[in-house]
Amino acid sequence: MSPIAIIALIIGIPSLLLLAYVFVRGSTGLRRYILTRIVLTLPMIFILATMVFFILRILPGDPVSSALGPKGTPEMIQSIRTQLGLNDPLIVQYGRFLWSMVTLRFGNSLVGGHRPIVDEMSERFPATLELIVPASILALLVGVYGGALAAAKRKRALDFSLRIYSVVIYSLPIFWFGLVLQLFFGVRLRWLPISGRIDAVIGTSLKTITNIYSLDALLTGNWPAFFSVLQHLILPTLTLGLILSGVFVRMTRINVIETMQADYIAAARARGIRERVLIYGHALKNAMIPVITLIGLQVAILLAGAVLTETVFSWPGMGSYLVERISARDYTAVQSVITVFAMLVALISLAVDVIYSLVDPRVRY
Amino acid sequence: MKHQKWFVLASVVLVASVLLGACGPAPTPTAAPTQAPATQAPAATQAPAAAPTAAATTAASNPDTIIIGTTDKVASLDSADAYAIRDWEVLYNISEGLIRWVPGTTNLEPGLATDLGTISPDGLTYTFTLKDGIKFGDGTPLTATVYAAQLNRLLTIGPKCPNDVADSLAVPYVQSITAPDDKTIVFKLKSKIAFFPQILAGAPYVASDPNIFKADACNLFPTAPIYGVGPWYVSQYNPDEQMVFEPNPYYTGDMKPQVKQVIVRFFSDPNTMALAVQSGEIDVAWRLLSPDQLTQLKNVSSLKIGTINGGRIQFLVLNHTMKPFDDPNVDKAIASAIDRNAIADTVYGGQVSPLYSQVPPGFLGASQSFDTMYSAPNLDQAKKYLEASGYSATNPLKIEMWYPPEHYGASTAAWMQVIKTQLEATGEIQVTLQAQEWSTYVPALTGGKAYGAGVLGWFFDYPDPSNYLDPFVYNRGEGTNVTIPATGSDTGTPINDKAKQLVALLQQADTETDQTKRAELYKQAQDIYADLVVTVPIFFSAEHVVYQNYISGMSSIASPDTLNIGPNILFNYSVLSKKSQ
Repeated sequence: MSPIAIIALIIGIPSLLLLAYVFVRGSTGLRRYILTRIVLTLPMIFILATMVFFILRILPGDPVSSALGPKGTPEMIQSIRTQLGLNDPLIVQYGRFLWSMVTLRFGNSLVGGHRPIVDEMSERFPATLELIVPASILALLVGVYGGALAAAKRKRALDFSLRIYSVVIYSLPIFWFGLVLQLFFGVRLRWLPISGRIDAVIGTSLKTITNIYSLDALLTGNWPAFFSVLQHLILPTLTLGLILSGVFVRMTRINVIETMQADYIAAARARGIRERVLIYGHALKNAMIPVITLIGLQVAILLAGAVLTETVFSWPGMGSYLVERISARDYTAVQSVITVFAMLVALISLAVDVIYSLVDPRVRY
Repeated sequence: MKHQKWFVLASVVLVASVLLGACGPAPTPTAAPTQAPATQAPAATQAPAAAPTAAATTAASNPDTIIIGTTDKVASLDSADAYAIRDWEVLYNISEGLIRWVPGTTNLEPGLATDLGTISPDGLTYTFTLKDGIKFGDGTPLTATVYAAQLNRLLTIGPKCPNDVADSLAVPYVQSITAPDDKTIVFKLKSKIAFFPQILAGAPYVASDPNIFKADACNLFPTAPIYGVGPWYVSQYNPDEQMVFEPNPYYTGDMKPQVKQVIVRFFSDPNTMALAVQSGEIDVAWRLLSPDQLTQLKNVSSLKIGTINGGRIQFLVLNHTMKPFDDPNVDKAIASAIDRNAIADTVYGGQVSPLYSQVPPGFLGASQSFDTMYSAPNLDQAKKYLEASGYSATNPLKIEMWYPPEHYGASTAAWMQVIKTQLEATGEIQVTLQAQEWSTYVPALTGGKAYGAGVLGWFFDYPDPSNYLDPFVYNRGEGTNVTIPATGSDTGTPINDKAKQLVALLQQADTETDQTKRAELYKQAQDIYADLVVTVPIFFSAEHVVYQNYISGMSSIASPDTLNIGPNILFNYSVLSKKSQ
């Protein structure tokens, strides 16, 4: 079984169980809503994939000429284009593309080794997952806690500091921030590795199962590999996670401040409940509803941020793959990656809406 | 309080991870790769090396392993298909051809053959005898029959493989490859060519393992282990991450590995690779660091930088059938006005050298024809050429010049701007610079129908002047259009008498086996090339290898300062050794 299939199972089975639970226990309105969302997601992905397919063909440039460079003769270029099916009528290519999407086979890459896209994604997607999950957790931890802290210390020095932090960190270019961390922790202090997913030598001893290296190291009990992966994760996670935390700090702060003005908070305060418990026990929970919505919206930004982070840290994930293949005009790879990204964003958006209904019983669909 | 505890716990985990890495005990080196006894084949699937006991953050701490960083990508590992520098480097390290390059030079020596072969009097038949006892890394003996069958893949399935090296370096030259007995290999050529030994020393002609590379299919990415008959075999390969080389237990040649493991790590960004070598994460950074990065690394005391005067050139292509470049005076005016030294100094800080012929210095017959003929920069002479064609300050020559903004690095835009300034300094030329993304740019320029002038770079397939001149003259010449493709002609029809003379000289040089006569022919050809201004050579650049002080090449062979990498930029990992830290 390919790593991507294993990951799909790891993520898919709990997601399906959750969905089934919500579907069975939820209201009729919620069931109808979930079904509608699923049905609407399919045409959305179809329209997006179609747009990507045609936009790529309209753009100037040719994958074969790009790969062969000046050494490619017109005869060689035509011969290879024919082999790759690029000389077929556009409608034939489109039909082939749609079929490859339906079967989730995605076809073969048009450049380099012309490998199956599924194989390339099996290597790349787990790397991106391994980066964006801890980055999201870090962004949430720093963002939510920082936002609540700023609200608790409203109009004091800490509040001002956190507000400045949130604006400054969010406006930093990712590649610059990553470079600064690399120079300080990697080159100057030599505490942390600055590139790759695992130490080159230790990596030779890691048996891959899912291609999520931390998970594989745990599953095989390879502790040196596990700690090496953690080490390699720190700087990319800090780069992506801290930059995304800025918007969560601001969002949480505003919502906690608003919630703190609610009547039930005033009532609780009148009963003598301590301010800290009010903020973290009562206000923060209620302020989390819009923050959860924001998490769904941030997924697309997270994936875009991963593109830059992966490039800066030579992290072989989907982001750096997309960048490489766009410049090589690798149509099949680009359209496949964008379709997968679109599916991911749509599914997470659906999951957020479902979680929304679980977190806030007042929400009715 | 509950939230605060979780936050503190998360922070502790984060800090602990940093400390584990920073303060952990030194790692135990990996176990030596499983060495099969000389009589026993290694297991088909190699067991992974034993895991070190702790995390490592620097390459220095692994005395038996050398880590090489690169930004090059692997496109194919099938010798019947591979056509990229990285692919060839892998093939040269895991296998060998009948003849090979002497490390650090562009001289030839016997490889798998007992000598440099015998050539028939008509120059069409090359015969080689195989050395005894050659085996692939999986124990399969290499016989002439096996070798010839594998080489025939170049002629049969090679042209159908995606990178199609065969149509450039085999099909045009080789008629047949046969093995009359188990020791003899015979090449019959389609026509006499003087540089066939150079082609034969190339990666397409190394011995490939018949158990991995079948006769009827291209196999671009075989599953590791990947064996050849060279000093190394590929024991692991994670695309876009790293490729692991370990010594071939059956190798009996003279280039035995000095270390137990070489790991090639792939970087997507040269800047990250520069930081990685600076931080000690990798031992060697090999291709392609920018001038800025090299300047920065020069100040790091723990590093050495080897400069290889390679054959990478940059030049302007002028389309001789498109206005206004169909006017010889316009072409000569451009050749006269360009100051190459200014480009080398101001844009590259002296890290490239001015180029006055399409054939860079060091190659057979290389001349300085453009310098002799135009003494550039010579603005007065440029004006004379322009005025001879009716251009003046009030009626300036207006030209468009194209370049790819990213393919040859960000500096391309800078030096094209310098060229624009230099040409406009004549007061009689107005230049419009146009940038176009590479995949669109290449067919537009080399197709010879869309762009009048543009930038191109070149690196040889085999180190011979013919590979610098023929492609820009024959069959549309990559957009120079000094010849037009014609049915039944190998070179195309020359557009004028000078082009005809040039084609005749090049054809003569292609078949001349006397090196002195050949050099003279190329000198004459370069003069006509400069007179025609087929292209305008601008500069040639060196390659740089950056390595830690504790890494060294072999002092007994040429170019130890560049880790024995010679002008053909062939990096032989067997020369590398590592002093203990």
